[in-house]
Parts: sequence; structure tokens; C-alpha cells
Amino acid sequence: MTVIKRKDELKVVGTRPIRPDGVDKVIGRAAFGADLAMPGMLVGKVKRSPHAHARIRKIDTSRAKALKGVLAVITAADLPNIPSEEAFMGEGPMNFRDLSRNCMARDKVLYEGHALAAVAATSAAIADEAIELIAVDYEVLPHVIDVDEAMAPGAPLLHDDLITAGVEPKPNKPSNVAKRIHFEIGNVDQGFKEADIVVEGRYTTKPVHQAYIEPHACVATVGADSQAMVWTSSQGQFMVRAYCAKLLGIEISNLRVIPAEIGGGFGGKTLVYLEPLALAMARISGRPVKMVMNREEVFRATGPTSGASMEVKIGAKKDGRITAAQALLKYQAGAFPGSPVGPGCMTAFAMYDLKNVRVTGYDVVSNRCKVAAYRAPGAPISSYAVESAMDELAQKLGMDPIALREKNAAREGTKTVYGPMLKNIGYVETLEAAKKHTHYGIKLGPNQGRGVASGYWFNVGGESSAAVHIAEDGTATVVSGNPDIGGSRASMAMQAAEVLGIPIERVRCIVGDTASIGFTFMTGGSRVTFATGLATIQAAEKVVEDLKRRAAMIWDISPEAVDWRDGAAHPAGANAGNFQPLTLKEIAEKAGKTGGPIGAEVSLNAQSPGAGFATHVCDVEVDPETGYVTVLRYTAVQDVGRAIHPSYVEGQIQGGVAQGVGWALNEEYVYDSKGRLENPGFLDYRIPVASDLPMIDAVMVEVPNPSHPYGARGVGEVPIVPPMAAVANAVRAATGIRMTQLPMSPPNLRAALRKAK
Amino acid sequence: MYQFEYHRATSVEDALAKLKKASDGKLVAGGMTLIPTMKQRLAQPSDLIDLGGLKDLRGIKVEGGKVVIGAMTRHFDVANSADVKKAIPALAVLAGGIGDPMVRYRGTIGGSIANSDPSADYPAAVLGLGATIKTNKREIAADSYFKGLFETALEAGEMITAVSFPVAKRAGYMKFPQPASRYAMVGVFVADTGSGIRVGVTGAGPCAFRAKDIEAALAKSFTPDAAGTVKIASKGLNSDIHGSAEYRAHLVSVMAKRAVAQALGG
Repeated sequence: MTVIKRKDELKVVGTRPIRPDGVDKVIGRAAFGADLAMPGMLVGKVKRSPHAHARIRKIDTSRAKALKGVLAVITAADLPNIPSEEAFMGEGPMNFRDLSRNCMARDKVLYEGHALAAVAATSAAIADEAIELIAVDYEVLPHVIDVDEAMAPGAPLLHDDLITAGVEPKPNKPSNVAKRIHFEIGNVDQGFKEADIVVEGRYTTKPVHQAYIEPHACVATVGADSQAMVWTSSQGQFMVRAYCAKLLGIEISNLRVIPAEIGGGFGGKTLVYLEPLALAMARISGRPVKMVMNREEVFRATGPTSGASMEVKIGAKKDGRITAAQALLKYQAGAFPGSPVGPGCMTAFAMYDLKNVRVTGYDVVSNRCKVAAYRAPGAPISSYAVESAMDELAQKLGMDPIALREKNAAREGTKTVYGPMLKNIGYVETLEAAKKHTHYGIKLGPNQGRGVASGYWFNVGGESSAAVHIAEDGTATVVSGNPDIGGSRASMAMQAAEVLGIPIERVRCIVGDTASIGFTFMTGGSRVTFATGLATIQAAEKVVEDLKRRAAMIWDISPEAVDWRDGAAHPAGANAGNFQPLTLKEIAEKAGKTGGPIGAEVSLNAQSPGAGFATHVCDVEVDPETGYVTVLRYTAVQDVGRAIHPSYVEGQIQGGVAQGVGWALNEEYVYDSKGRLENPGFLDYRIPVASDLPMIDAVMVEVPNPSHPYGARGVGEVPIVPPMAAVANAVRAATGIRMTQLPMSPPNLRAALRKAK
Repeated sequence: MYQFEYHRATSVEDALAKLKKASDGKLVAGGMTLIPTMKQRLAQPSDLIDLGGLKDLRGIKVEGGKVVIGAMTRHFDVANSADVKKAIPALAVLAGGIGDPMVRYRGTIGGSIANSDPSADYPAAVLGLGATIKTNKREIAADSYFKGLFETALEAGEMITAVSFPVAKRAGYMKFPQPASRYAMVGVFVADTGSGIRVGVTGAGPCAFRAKDIEAALAKSFTPDAAGTVKIASKGLNSDIHGSAEYRAHLVSVMAKRAVAQALGG
């Protein structure tokens, strides 16, 4: 097992150097997806379906092709017809056929905004005109939006061949239910019989978008020698490479993907949308093709997360000990299977040490855009239901909500419903810290209430590569295989600096393209600081071994007689000889004479990422006349393992809370009766801004993760898990009303207040 | 956005001459409504005549019991004007709550009123204070200015040059912002003008209107409760994804009540 360094042994890890990516992003100098221009570049645009569900009888592109300045027009007929094949490149399950058909509809359009043709032209205006000239003959079909309606008998079917998986015997008819998931431990029925008190509730959430500020954008070129290049903003250059190669039938070695600076992803940039189309049109036209979505396209055609319909039941003894728990989770997948209902089932009750648990989940397709991952995919949804029910239970028992959670908290060795045992976790520590925080003792006024909720995310490890190169002036460059969406360049550089024993100012980290660094699974699952951090540490350790070898060579002693500390080689002891230390800089300057350039690359598959837990406390004030909720105070306590760069960690926590508060109070996809999205823009779809929120107090509890030498565990996802229930529980405390439907928007809350009167 | 010809006007006369020459021209002041509309391809003017250079139309004067604001005065300048804050504090409050800082740096009072957006803030003050709209041709009383959804009494070739607000004895403005855009879901401007009570409502209907029932109640008793207990009929009010007509009707009473409290210094 890895030996975790003590805090006092660390010089760089745990400090707060100025963030390397900050200023360029703020002043607009960072090169995002839309910022690359190439000579002769064409502008690509997408023709999208105006219907929620329709058969494509005919697409006539002849007039568009004839327009002067149009150099490529494609439909699904111009792309390979990909057979059904499961892929595990993205965050969550994915089928290559579905992905191909999501990028370009074949036979049917399945949601409003579904791409069905694309053009590349010499100007944006010509491309727009060409899009209008494409004539499509549709047979409009009945559509279904809501998850419960999609599951009902007689619902319009999206896919004629979709047979529910995970059901025995196998159904003989297609439906909109792609999959049933079931986890069960103990004897749930017996557990409910033993309960003194049972709470039950039905909860619904709406789809919400990740709302990254940078829309999807890419530039693609295909050379005369068939070598293709894509410059794109995504959460994984290797993911883009794998998907594009598969969808277009390109050999992977012929495709190089260069990661642009990314302006937010939150899980939403873990699929391809434009890249295969741009590549296909670059291949046809022989010119670079740039494609950039506008905000409306982002809303209409890229993945939000699921909306859901859920039932939760929890039974407990009078002392608060839970005897049984069960949940039924129905998640919208959008037009193709692949909702995060699996993680929703896994995480729902994972905060608690329960003997009898039953969780059933359904992955359900309907006529809305295909969902994509969104921070801790699936977990915030099921946690909203479970943590609301826990609050109800605390109310009925007359118990403090933190005390109820402590009574049932997952601890060392707790077995999860989905199998693994939890180890080295810090859930109880988050509860203790929340209880002790001054926030928890502040007196509340009229119409004010306090809510508590906890959350869990398992975190992910996986395949990662990183390289460390020493330059001739003694500075170091880290090449990471992960796009930096949450400060990973800083954390990689800091971890390398820690091993090398040099100041952080002398280490830079860049994100490598697919040809310049080994395969790396995409940025997601809160895996990068942990997994790619391990690769970075190991690469830096290899470099240190080499540096020691070089010093030994210069001193003409054995490498074992050399110590590395404070960025310099030292003789290991008196017997090793009497030499002045050789600094990294001195060794680097002489590298040519001691064996050539100094550097190392490590590829690995990281295991035991260390689960993340959080407990949030939220105070709200409800305006009883309007239903408007003001968040007064918010404290988010989280076990972060050990923070590499505490400011980034606090930023992750605050960002997760902000997004969760938006999900709780305002955000939703609104559809009209024809299945068309009514609010595809930020003037009608409200994400919280600074003026909507109080200062969020991010409290870091550090229970080191033993799988990482500095104790790091993933921190980016668990902070979005508790907020919806924390806000709902605070609203309950302020008003006496349990809001079982999100969002708790002013009209919705006022309607509930009136109904209660 | 479709293609258009851009012109920069040098005077009011020049702007109107250019407008006349264009096949389907539009005057653009701050552009806070027109530009997004064009971006969404809901408007396709042949020509844009930019009024940004007309310095004579910028500025605030207090004279003869009136606050006169030039049509090209930015919301930011109204919100931060010591004169406005002193003469009609509620008007400064209103201007300071429009949109966000970027909108307030660009948007103008003339643009807002000429457009008659159903959820713009200024129309509530124009009606609430009984302002006079000054144009290149004439003066229009507030009560005969707002005609309907995006419709005003302005004629072809007519352009707002200033808005004159009589100083009220006391006044207040409260709005319930649409959570995303910060437009007024409902905004109510209440004024005790000295010679009567006026209540201007924006956001609730197709265009700004006066809430006569609330005016009558406040004439009897200028108290928050007097305004708050008036029930507003929801018939004919706006209903959209952000709130039903019923919710808006309810908000009119609530915002009126709070505007009165503000007017009374609460």
C-alpha cells in the first residue's frame, strides 16, 4: 500500500499558488474551441429537426449543393451505417449506433433539434442559406416527453427494436424502457415490518443543462495523405478520437485530436456532436471545416441530465435506526438509452449503513435530446428523493437531522447495496464538522428554515498517462492526458513539484494531444487529480531516479549512495563521499554529458479512488406572498481526502453548490404541446449568478485516501449531490411544506403554499 | 443575424432623414432589445441608424418641478444621478434594477419607452408619474402613449427626444423579476403626485397600464394594506412559462403593497 505523506512533509501540496489558467480565461486570451482559424477554412452548419418525432421520407439537398460557395453537404447517407455495439469510452454506457444516429438522424428524427443534415460553405451566411435550401419531407409521428407517459402502455415508441434489458423473461415486445436495474440486500419486507415509523414519498425532477459557458466548437482537417486532425473543446481528446474514428471508419493512427482550452464541461462534453460532421465535410471538401454551436443549439441538441420520477420508502425504529429502505427510480434517457440511472441506484442510499435495501431503476427513452453526464451523473437526482425522505423521517421521529444521519452513517466496512465495501471514508467526519460549524447554531427568523442533506459519489480511477520532462534550464514540463476542467494543470504541476523538490513556479503543465501523450481516459468521475496525479507522481519519481543516477555518475559513486531532497542530489551519508549537493538545474545543464535528455512517461490504470462524502447545511427565507426563495446561508462540508490546491477545491465545492441551487430553484426544460423546447436560452433558462447566492462556505474535512501518496480523492462531483435536498429541506422547515417536485420556482412554491392553506 | 446597412446619425434630423430613405430601417439606441431580436432572426431591418452619437439627447435636468431625461441617457446614469435620487428616488431605484450592469451601461430610456416591451421597467414609471414623452414633433401624455404589445402612439418619422417626469410627493417602485432575464414579471410604480394617486403596472399585461382599482383604494388610504387587499382580475394578463396570468394578477397586488411601503420610506 502507498505510504501517505504527513502534511508537515509536504512543501507544495496544500499551498495556494496563483492559478495558471485564471488570467487568460478572464481576459479572453485563452484559445477555446471556437478560436482556431486556418487558411481556406469553411464554416459548417447543421440542419435540425423542427419536430419532436417524425419519419424522414426524403431529404433533398440538391438546391443547397448547387448554391455558390457550398463545398459539402452531408446527410446520414454520407456516413457509415454503424451497427449496434456497446462502447465504454464515455461517462456512462453508450452504443456506437446510437451515437452515430444522435450526430445525424437516419430514418427518423427523435427530438426537436435532432441533426439531419450539415453543410460546409465559404461563409456563415452562405451556410445558413444552404441550410434553408435543404428540403425535408417529414411524416410527423406522435411524440412523448414525460418519463411516466413514455413507460405507459400504448406510448409512442421511439425505437422498434428496443427490448428492455435486465428483465426475466425477456420481453417479446419493444417499449421505451431500455433497461431495468435492480439491487437488493437483506430482507426488505421483513425490515419494513420491524419499523416503528415508515415514510413514503413520490418525487420528480426536471432535466437541467450543464450550461457550460462555452458552446461546442471544433475545427477539422483531412490531409491528402488521409491524416486527419480535430481541434476541439471536450473532456477527452482520446474520447473524441475513439468516437470519430469509429463513426467515420478512420484508423485511429490517422486521427489526431488536439484539445482546445475548455470553457466548462461538467460532464456535458463527454460525447461528440459536431466533430464527426466536420471531419466528414473536411474529407469531402478538402478544406478545414469549423463548426460552432450557438446557445440555442446547445440547449436543443446537446445533453442535459435526466429528469426523473421516483418513489422512496424508508422505515425506522423509534431510536432512528433504519430497518429498511427502498427506491424506485425512473430516469429519462432522452432519445437514446443511457440515462445515469445506474449511478443513481448505486449512490441513493450509499451514505447509510443499511441491512435491508432494495433499489430498482429504469432507463427510459422519450422524444427529447439525449442526456449527457452532469457532475456525479444520476446521484443528485436520487439523493434529492432519499435525502428529502430522510428529512421527513427526522421530522416524524423528532430527531435532529444530523443525529439521524450519524445514527445510520456509513463507516469503515459498510457494505453498499451494489457490492463493494466502503473503506477509509470520511462521512461521519463531515457530519461532525457540520454540527460543530457556527452556521448550525445561528438562530432563524420568521419564514426562515434550515435544511441538511448529505451526498455520496464513488469517484473513479482508471487509465491515465502523464509525462515529466526536464528542460536544460532545470524547469519541468508535465504533459497530462486530461483536458483541464477543474484546475488539473495546477494540481499536476504541484504534485510533480512536490516529488522533484522544486518550487511550483518552475513546473508547467500542458494538456497533450492524442499523438503526444499516452492514452488517457477522459476527464470525468472526479478521477484526474487522483489517477492522472498518480501517473504524474510516478513519472516524476522516475525522473528523480534518473537524476540520482546522473549525480552518481558525476560523483562516480553508486546510485544507491545518492539521496534526493529539496530539489538536489546529496550524498546519502558520510560513507558516500564528501560532495556539494547537485541541484536539478546543475544536473539538467549537464544532461547531454550524462546520457541525454531527462524525462519519463508513465501510463497506469489507477484503482481505489476513494469515495467522496459531503454534508450541506442551507438556510433559506421564503417570501410567503410570492413563493420566492432566498438562500441566506450555505455551508458545504466535504471529505476531500487531501486538498492539493485548496482554492481550486473550494471553487469546485462552491460551483457544485451553485449549480445544485439552480437545479433546486429555477432550472428546467419547458416543452410545448408539440414537444418543442420553449426556453433554449439564458433569458428564459435561469442558471444562478453571483447575485442569486450568498457566499458559500466550503469546509474541507481531510481524511486522506490511502491509494494516493498525498491522500487525494476526487472532489469535483460530490458537491452537487446534496444541494437540492438541502434547499428542499430548508423550504420545508421554513413553510411546513414538503416540495416533492423540482424546481421550487416562485409560482410552483406559491401554488403549494396556497394549496396548504 | 441577417445583413443590414449600418449608419451613424449626426443629428435628430439626420437620423430621421436616413430612416426615411431606408426601405425598412430601424433606429437603434442602446440596442438591448433590437440586437437580440435580430440575432434570433425575429427582425430583419434593412438599415440600422445608430443614435449613439447624439450627445444632445443625453443628460438629466431638474427644472420647474420636473425631471427631464434625454432619450439617449443610459440606465446607469439615471440610477446614479444625484439629482434623480433627490427628486424622485423611486425612479433611480427603478433604473438601477433594470437587467444587469451590462444592460444598464448600454440601455437607454428612449429605447426602452419607444419599444414598449411588455416587461420593461420604465413604462411603469412613465404611467405612474404621469410623464410626458417629448418627440421631435410634439409632446405625448403618458396616458395616451402605450397602445399595446410593442405598440405606442409614435408615428412614422417620429422620435423620442426626452421624457419629462413630474416630481411626485412620494413614490415607490417594486418589481418581481423574471428569474432568468430580470425583466419585470410584474413591476408596480406607485406615486402620490400631490394632485392624485397614480399606479403604473408593467410586466402583467400586453403593455403597461394603470391599476385604477388600486389607485382608488390608495386615494382613500395611502397604506400598503390598502393596495395589497385589492384583488386584480387575471383576465387579459400575460401568461407564459415563467408565470400564469393568475400569478401575475396576484403579484400586482403584492408589488403595489410593497411599492407603497417604499414610498412611505419603509
